[in-house]
Parts: sequence; structure tokens; C-alpha cells
Amino acid sequence: MTQTVQPPIMGHALRRVVFFLLVLLTTLGAMGLMVSVFQTDGLSPMELILLVLYAILFSWICISFWTAFMGFFVILTGRDRWAISRQSGLASDPAAPASRTAILMPIYNEDSERVFAGLRAIHRSLADTGQLAGFDFFVLSDTRDPDVWVEEELRWQDMVRALDGKGRIFYRNRPENTSRKSGNLEDFCTRWGGRYRYMIVLDADSIMKGETLVEMVRIMERHPRVALLQTPPVPINRESLFARILQFAGSLYGRMFTAGLNYWQLGESNYWGHNAIIRIQPFLDHCGLPKLPGREPFGGDILSHDFVEAALLRRAGWEVWLAYDLEGSYEEIPPTLIDYAKRDRRWCQGNLQHLRLALSRGFNALSRLHFLMGVMSYAASPLWLLFLLATGIDAYFQTRHEPVYFFGENWAPVWPVSFAVEMTTVLLVTLTMLFLPKGLALLLLLKDGRLRRAYGGMIKATLSVALETLFSVLTAPVLMLFQTKFVLAILMRRAVGWPPQQRGDHMTGFREAALTHGVQTLIGIVAGVLSYQYVPAFFWWFIPVLLGLVLAIPVSMLSSSIALGRQARELGLFLTPEETEPPVVLDYLAENLEEDELVLPVLRERPTSRFVQALTDPYVNALHLSLLPPREPPGKRRRHYLEGLIHQLEEEGPDSLSAVQKRDLISDPEMLARLHALFWSRPPANAGMLP
Amino acid sequence: MDRGKVSAAEPYLPPAQPAPSSEFVLARLGAYWQALGVSDPDQIAALSEQALRRATESPEAPGLDAVARTLVAAGELLDDWLARALDLPRSSRELAAARAALLSGAAPNWPAALFAAPDEADTVLDALRAARAEPTPEPSPGAMPAQRIELFGSLASLRRLWRPQPRA
Repeated sequence: MTQTVQPPIMGHALRRVVFFLLVLLTTLGAMGLMVSVFQTDGLSPMELILLVLYAILFSWICISFWTAFMGFFVILTGRDRWAISRQSGLASDPAAPASRTAILMPIYNEDSERVFAGLRAIHRSLADTGQLAGFDFFVLSDTRDPDVWVEEELRWQDMVRALDGKGRIFYRNRPENTSRKSGNLEDFCTRWGGRYRYMIVLDADSIMKGETLVEMVRIMERHPRVALLQTPPVPINRESLFARILQFAGSLYGRMFTAGLNYWQLGESNYWGHNAIIRIQPFLDHCGLPKLPGREPFGGDILSHDFVEAALLRRAGWEVWLAYDLEGSYEEIPPTLIDYAKRDRRWCQGNLQHLRLALSRGFNALSRLHFLMGVMSYAASPLWLLFLLATGIDAYFQTRHEPVYFFGENWAPVWPVSFAVEMTTVLLVTLTMLFLPKGLALLLLLKDGRLRRAYGGMIKATLSVALETLFSVLTAPVLMLFQTKFVLAILMRRAVGWPPQQRGDHMTGFREAALTHGVQTLIGIVAGVLSYQYVPAFFWWFIPVLLGLVLAIPVSMLSSSIALGRQARELGLFLTPEETEPPVVLDYLAENLEEDELVLPVLRERPTSRFVQALTDPYVNALHLSLLPPREPPGKRRRHYLEGLIHQLEEEGPDSLSAVQKRDLISDPEMLARLHALFWSRPPANAGMLP
Repeated sequence: MDRGKVSAAEPYLPPAQPAPSSEFVLARLGAYWQALGVSDPDQIAALSEQALRRATESPEAPGLDAVARTLVAAGELLDDWLARALDLPRSSRELAAARAALLSGAAPNWPAALFAAPDEADTVLDALRAARAEPTPEPSPGAMPAQRIELFGSLASLRRLWRPQPRA
């Protein structure tokens, strides 16, 4: 199912020409300034390195700046005839069969209570639209933890019973989590994909308004050439200071950046892995992911599958759009700096893998750019570090160079040429490109009174932007060192695991902060002493970076504080529209988490282990058994292994078994039934035991 | 199912009795039936007797002592009734789902239905049919072939430019 090639649209081409021309000219201008500084006495090797690094880094900043600027322009004028939501498309055919959409939530050892509270909020919001009948829900579990697995089954059954969702709300746990999330979705597509025209992929912490889901389907129906529509997820619901600052930045600047991305990407946009709707047939036809040749970290499974899937759809002639003006799409972000870095660690390997794909045959130019942008989001850190080191070394050699004022017989002194003006200009241009988008986002608030109030008013919003800028200056060097470490570890072929995310709010203690940021602090101190000692002029320029590193431990701890986050909220700082005027779907989520109205009595009990409950409790045991996929009886060796586990359980108790061993036991229907009978056959050890 | 009778489990499996007395077996069976939701002593006695008979008739199962075998037989009794009443295949996921529905509290008066004439059990059976879990829909499979990605295509082109292949 490959699309016919559509002739290029002039308006699209013009936008891209304007955008890339601006990026190119700005980069060339800044490079010209740098070259004028360096070339007076010829380019030294160190200066050449600096020049190359600066060219790469500055063009990266330029893309970001002009994207934001175009977004500013689009929102300011309110005119964007190419926004997918505003294009007329096909009229709906009343005789055509109604489309069915599957809402997918792939999960992996997540907090089940939060997962199902979110799903119920989405379900309720969708029911409010009156369009619930067109949607089915799938919880696609890749969970390996046996306790979480059993809890998920109970929560799913509770949701089905509470919402009368039999035949509409489904759950399955994969026996093997081959190819991780992409394999999880592929499993859905190959087993049930034929039942649906669309799938809306969520993340475990995604929340979407019912109206948004309905609108996404409407857009897809109107535009049969569109295979994927991405909505911009707005970060919500966190209370720690760190997360609230990020939420504020994501909300205020995010809408400008996404509008800007759509300005030049148009129908060749990207997929961010969740909060997106996908046409299933082209996805089946073109998005089967191969294993990359070679071993991890660059070979093996494709980790950041989303970019690749979008590129494959584009390769087959389908359109991929970013619906930047669709509201009602939310996600939660890591609550602390350390959790944020951990998430980066997981994403880093997948994004670096894209370096190979960027050079592969057949992909569109913009898909290659997406791959390279993915690579640069992590590779930029080691490049910045190299740039700083090279600048420091160059500055050191400059200080060792004795100026010569008198040449030959000439009695008049020849003053060395100063390039302070040029260098200051380069620095100012770079800083402007980095920070101006924040100012532009503030300017946009002047246009919209309702939005201005939602951000706490102009003064509070300005103060929040100033504080956010300060915070980002302090944390940028820390993230630079983190990401450099991750990139180096991956280049040294140390593969990344697949740890589940810690999504809930929690504080960072001193021990955790010291262990994580200790080396960074030390690097900051050593670099400070060395630069002060040997290149004092450079030291003062270097202070923002040094401060970030030296203060890493207290900044990490303080920013994880929930109390500070709440206090900032009371002061009207870092407010977002989702905090000041929460959409109904977020109220539903809060209600679900607070009230916890459970239909199944067993969920109101809080046993120490759901695994043991699956063995002892007749209901939990029967439910779990009914959800096990059909499987061949175990072979002789496997049976011996499982029997060995039963003996271990009898002699040493459940705590002696690993999570994998527990999972093996409750994955086998025969062992499950046998252990249930064994538990009930034994005399109760005390009054708390079975009756 | 009577959740009051299913108290929290021990963190370990208590040791088996070397030679369990018939009183002990009946006590365990009685406790199990109560946990399943049978509270009438006469019904418990009748069901336990059937379970005992079934256990003696069934072949020895590896790894299960006499008491455990009787408890397995008790479960099978329940499954027999469900399979017959709901017209479900034995040893199926559907049957396990029906048992889960029964124990979920969807039909609290199921023991009465078990002992009633088949036509008097309709309400309970309808409640069980409605409450039976349906974890996944009927499959509607589609093929998802792995796509071909030729790595370093652009580099290969550059290499060809640099060192063109001789024409055959």
C-alpha cells in the first residue's frame, strides 16, 4: 500500500527555502565573524578545531532559533493555511463504514494505579463526547515484574466491571517482550490490526481529552494520504520544583516551537512515539522494523523506533503531520534532575543508532535531518564540552604569547589588533539565538489576555521566564556532563538496559545527589582552580559553567523539593494553563487517583505480595489463569526447573525466588493450579494463615 | 466468594502433614469451600464428599499429596458444573474465566444454583456469562514484513564516486 508521488506544493517548498536560507545565512554570518578573528595570523590547528565545532554547534542553535521564530510568526499572525487541522480535505462520506480506532497503552512495570486511573479518565472524557462506540482500549503489557503483572490484571478487570467495558477494554501480557515497545505494538498490529482503521498510541503517563481523540480521527478521515498525526504532548501534573519549571518551559515555549516545526516540516514531520494517531494498514505494510546488523549498541533492535517508523512511512509516500494546534494532549515528565538524566540515558542509545540510519538508502532528506537532529540532541553535549576545552586551551596559549610592539628598525610601536568587538559580537549573537525565543514566547502572551492570565499575568510570567533561564543555565553544564558520559559509554559499546521510569514525585536525598553529582562537582572545582590559575581572563567567562557544576548537588536536591514546587505555585511562579484552568480530563484523573472507587474487593486489600495472592487467593488465581495465553506443556527440562522452584518456595519462601523465577511459576497454568492446591492443603501456621 | 475467609497468605508455604487424618482433609476442604463462597454446612459436606470420591478415583498426580489432590478435585467439581451449565470446553481459558467470574462476586448466590435444577439457575448463569472476562478480541491478523534498510547507502554512493567500479 504505497502512495503515489504527489507533485511538490509551491507553498511548502517556499517555506523550506526561507527557513533553510535563514539558517544558512545566520550560520555563515557568525562563521564570518569567527574567521575574521582567527585568520589574522593564520589558522592554528586549535583554531581550526574551534571553527569546525562552532560551525556544527551554531547551526544546531540556528535551526532551533529559526524554528521558534517561525512559530512565533505563525502564532502572532494567526495565519497558517498549511496546518493540517485547517486544511479542508475530503468531505466525509455518510455511506462509508464508520472507522474503528484502537487506543493503545503499552506498559512495562509501571505503577498500575496511575496507568488505570489515566485510562479511566480518558475513557470518561471520550464518553462525554458521545463517541465512545468508535473506540476500543488495549492495555498492552510487557510487564515482567510478577507482582505488577497480577496487579495490572486486577486493575484491568476492575475497570471493565466499573465501566461496563466488556468487549471494549482489553488486556494482554506478552510472554516474551521481544523488541521492546516496537515489538509490543507490532504484536498488536499483527494480531488485531485488521479490526481497526486507526490506532492511537499512548504512553503509560499519557492523558488525552476525548474531544482531541475524536478530532484526530476526523482529521485522518478527511486526509487519506496522512498515515500519522502527532499531537504535541504538554507536560503536566508534577509538583516538584524541577518538574514545574520544566512544565512551565514546555508549555510556554513548546507551543511556539511546535508551530515552528510544522512551519517547515509540514507533511514530512516526525513521530514522537506516543500521543499520536496512526493509520494501521500503511503501518503494517511499511513499519516492520528489521534488526540492524552488528551488535549493540549500534546494531540489534532499533531502540528509538518512532523516528524510523515516521521515516519509513515517508519513504513509502505517506504524509506525517504534527497537529501543533490540537490541544488536550498531555504527558508527565521526570520529577527530578536525576530521573531526567536517567531517561536521557535510555533515549541516548536509540538516538545515536540513528547516525547509521541517516546515511541509509531511500529515506527523504527531511527524514535524514530528523535522524541527525536526534543524534545532535545528545552529540551536542560532548561537542560543547570539546568546544569549551579547546577554547580554554587556546586561551591558555594566547596568554603565553608575548606581544611584540616593535619590529626591526621601526621606532613606532605596532599595537596588536584587538578582536574584542568581534568576539563579543559572536558571543552576543550566540546568546541571543539561545535566549531570544524565551522573550518571543513572552511577547505572544501580550496578544492573548486569557492565556496571559493562565500563566499568572505578565509580571509573574516574566519573572518565571527569568528564573527558568537562570535554572537552565545552572543545569545545562550538569546535563552536558551527563550526556557526554552516556555518549562515551555507548561509543565504548556499553549497552543501555531498559529500566522502567520512576514517574511519581519524590525527593532526591543527599546521598543520592552526592553519589550522582559528586564527580561533576569535583570537575567544576578542578576546572575552576586550573582556569583561575592559568587563564584568569577565561575564568570569568567560564563562571556560569563552573557554578552549574559546583552547585550540582544542592541544585539537584533543592529542585526535587515538592514543598518548594508548591510554594512557587502559591507565589504564582511557573504557572501553566493546565494548573490554573485544569481541563476536565485532568480533574477526572485527580478524582480517580484520590477516590479509588474500586469494584473488586480484592483491590482494596493491600497484600505484601500480589504474586503470593495469585497462588493462594482463589479469585486472583482463577483470573490470572484465565488470562494466560495458550502454551505447549513444558518439556522435561523445563518441568524439572519449575518443580525445583516449587521446592525452593516450600523450603525458603517466596522471597528466595527472583522476579524471573516467580514469573516462570505463575506463567505455567499447571504449576499455578498445583501451587494453589498446595497452599490450601497445608495446615495454617497461625491465625493469620489460610482458614 | 467469601473474602472474609481468604485471609492474608503466609510469606512461605507451611510444611505438609506427614499422614493427614480424614478430619484434617475435611477441615481443609471445608475451609476452601467457605473461601469460595459456600456457607451452608450441608452443601459443604455434600461437596466435600464428592470431592473426596473424585480424588480417590483420579490417578496420582506427581508432586501433590492426598490433601492437595482432594483440593484439586474440589476445583474440578466446580469446573465440571460450570462447563456443563455454560456449555464451555474443559481445560479452556473460557472455563477459567467463568470460574473467575464466579469467584468475583458477580453471582453471590451461586451455591444455591449449583444445587438447584438446571432451569432454576438461569439468573446466576446469565450473571456469570456477563461477568466472564474477555481479555482480547477475536484475532484479525495482518502481516507486518520487516522492511529493508540498506545502511550506509549514502556512504556507498560517495565511495563509488571516489573509486568508480570498472564497467563490465
